[in-house]
Amino acid sequence: MKKIRIGLLAAVMCAIPALASAQDEGEEGATPAAGGGEEETAAGTEEGAADGAAGGEEVPGEGAEIPGMGAEPAGDGLAAICQIDPDACPKLDMEKEAKKDLNEKIYAVQQIYAKRKMRFELNPYMGIGMNDQYVQHPGPGVAGNFYLLEVLAIGVNFNYYRPFKSESDFNADVRRAARVGVPLTQYDWNANFNITYVPSYGKFAGFSDFIFHWDLYVVAGGGAISTKPIAVIDPDNRKFGYEIKPTGNVGVGARVFFNRWFAAILEFRDYIFAEDLESLEVSEDPDIASDPDTWYDEDPEITNNVQLQFGVSIFLPFSFEYRLPK
Amino acid sequence: MRTTIMKTTATTRRLLLALAAGFGLLAATETAQAQEILLTGPLAGAPAVRKLRLYRQGRLTIMPSATFTLLDHYQRTIIPGIQLDYNFTDWLSLGVWGGFAPDPLHLTAGLTEKIQQVNADRDCRNSAGDAEGPSATETDCRLTAVNMGSEFEEQLGEISWVAAPQITGVPFRGKVSLFKKIFIDTEMFFFLGAAFVGLKERVDCGPNSDSDLDACSGHEAFERKSRMTVGPTVGFGLTFWATQWLGIVPQYRLLPFAWNDGGFDTAGGDPDGDFPDSSITKEDRMYRFNQFFTIGFSIFLPTRYRISD
Repeated sequence: MKKIRIGLLAAVMCAIPALASAQDEGEEGATPAAGGGEEETAAGTEEGAADGAAGGEEVPGEGAEIPGMGAEPAGDGLAAICQIDPDACPKLDMEKEAKKDLNEKIYAVQQIYAKRKMRFELNPYMGIGMNDQYVQHPGPGVAGNFYLLEVLAIGVNFNYYRPFKSESDFNADVRRAARVGVPLTQYDWNANFNITYVPSYGKFAGFSDFIFHWDLYVVAGGGAISTKPIAVIDPDNRKFGYEIKPTGNVGVGARVFFNRWFAAILEFRDYIFAEDLESLEVSEDPDIASDPDTWYDEDPEITNNVQLQFGVSIFLPFSFEYRLPK
Repeated sequence: MRTTIMKTTATTRRLLLALAAGFGLLAATETAQAQEILLTGPLAGAPAVRKLRLYRQGRLTIMPSATFTLLDHYQRTIIPGIQLDYNFTDWLSLGVWGGFAPDPLHLTAGLTEKIQQVNADRDCRNSAGDAEGPSATETDCRLTAVNMGSEFEEQLGEISWVAAPQITGVPFRGKVSLFKKIFIDTEMFFFLGAAFVGLKERVDCGPNSDSDLDACSGHEAFERKSRMTVGPTVGFGLTFWATQWLGIVPQYRLLPFAWNDGGFDTAGGDPDGDFPDSSITKEDRMYRFNQFFTIGFSIFLPTRYRISD
């Protein structure tokens, strides 16, 4: 029986901390009487212990002290302090203090949901050409960015087009209906160094039910693109090869975060380069017509390859710590 | 006797174990009760947000706007318009967008100018616009007689006006920080509706049409007539609140319908209808996912929003 008592005591002792842990904040304000209540429970029988554990649901009677909630009003507490130690008694004019302007700093966006500084962003995506009516240039791409600052990153991206190009029906319709040949171009690949700046971020509540965070970024950079004309005007003689040209790019995109390391991205990027187009002139002399120097138009044309890029962003490392808790 | 004592000890152990488990459960229950107090306490049933700015509920929206067509083949169109909405709730409204594009707001694309340059150089037509120009018998002129009038620009299909009743939902709402200095209340909305589109298109002509014009090479066959078509419209946009009554609204719209924007004979012929048939008919209309970008300024009436409890 002695062991049984010890066992019961141990079980009750286990139950008591759980009760206290649910009411941490109130403990400091608990009066001895409130503490006594707990002691009474601890010292009770099995049944009493069970009642004590469930006591949180009981509605105390009027004037009863609620354990953990502090039994004395604040004014009495101050009076007690003043009585015990007059030097420690606050001498503030509370009404005067209340009239003072608050200089509280309230941040509209208190913490950035997903910090970027010193994190690496891996961004696989799919690109779709937006402004070429004749040849579509879809293709996969991948970008990598390292954020030096919360709002600034350096990085690279790579697009691969070659196997995915397709000519549109519109191209054939125009050629057939108007007998007008339009020089066409196909792309192979494109690689760039980029700088990304994130001027804007925010959060949205969806259906008043969930919140998602997003940011808006602008990107610019330069690199190289490999392209070649598609022989339209004189396909019998002209066999073009891919050539690498310098390119610049600018873009704007948005990122919607699913968690602190995974996001969806949607981006518009304009890759700008000087394209050597196929010449519309064909010499009647077969020797001249087969000379590659006559295949290209004299003046390169500035080409804008506007792409819609959509994909995901993975931030590494997956976790991070805030400098301040709030 | 020994067996009985052993049984008693085993029973005692089981009892102790059961009691400990029972107290453990009670303790766990107590932890949960702290949460229950929260749910059944003074915050029970309280709204997620108090003092919410009800930007839309019960307000009328008037949005003058400019709409730009995107990814056009031959010409871009700017459509000045206006949108009227009544917002039944903060997240649902019903309204209509309408716009009208006069001739000066149809701007030719580079391809149109290129085609017209080639067309003019061919010299296929005379001053009256008939296919009797100095080079009318040349191969290029004969092969393009059905498709190319004197002025290519004047045979192009045009969007003249649009009227689109639509329903708008505002599922996403929040704020955006700009340079960590400016914080703007922002909404994202989606809309869905039906659009009535007024078009100008080249007249029907040729042997396979119901028209009186038996040939499509005469100058009359390059005139345009008006017609109306209906298509679904869907899109999304953002509202950036500048003041209590003014929002800046960029939005994207998709409005698919079939039309002959080049005035070309591209289909209707044998063997499968994908070959030209020397006629301009509805077979030559291509179904296109026409895209639009709108920028508007939403004015909300009454000018003050309400605030929730």
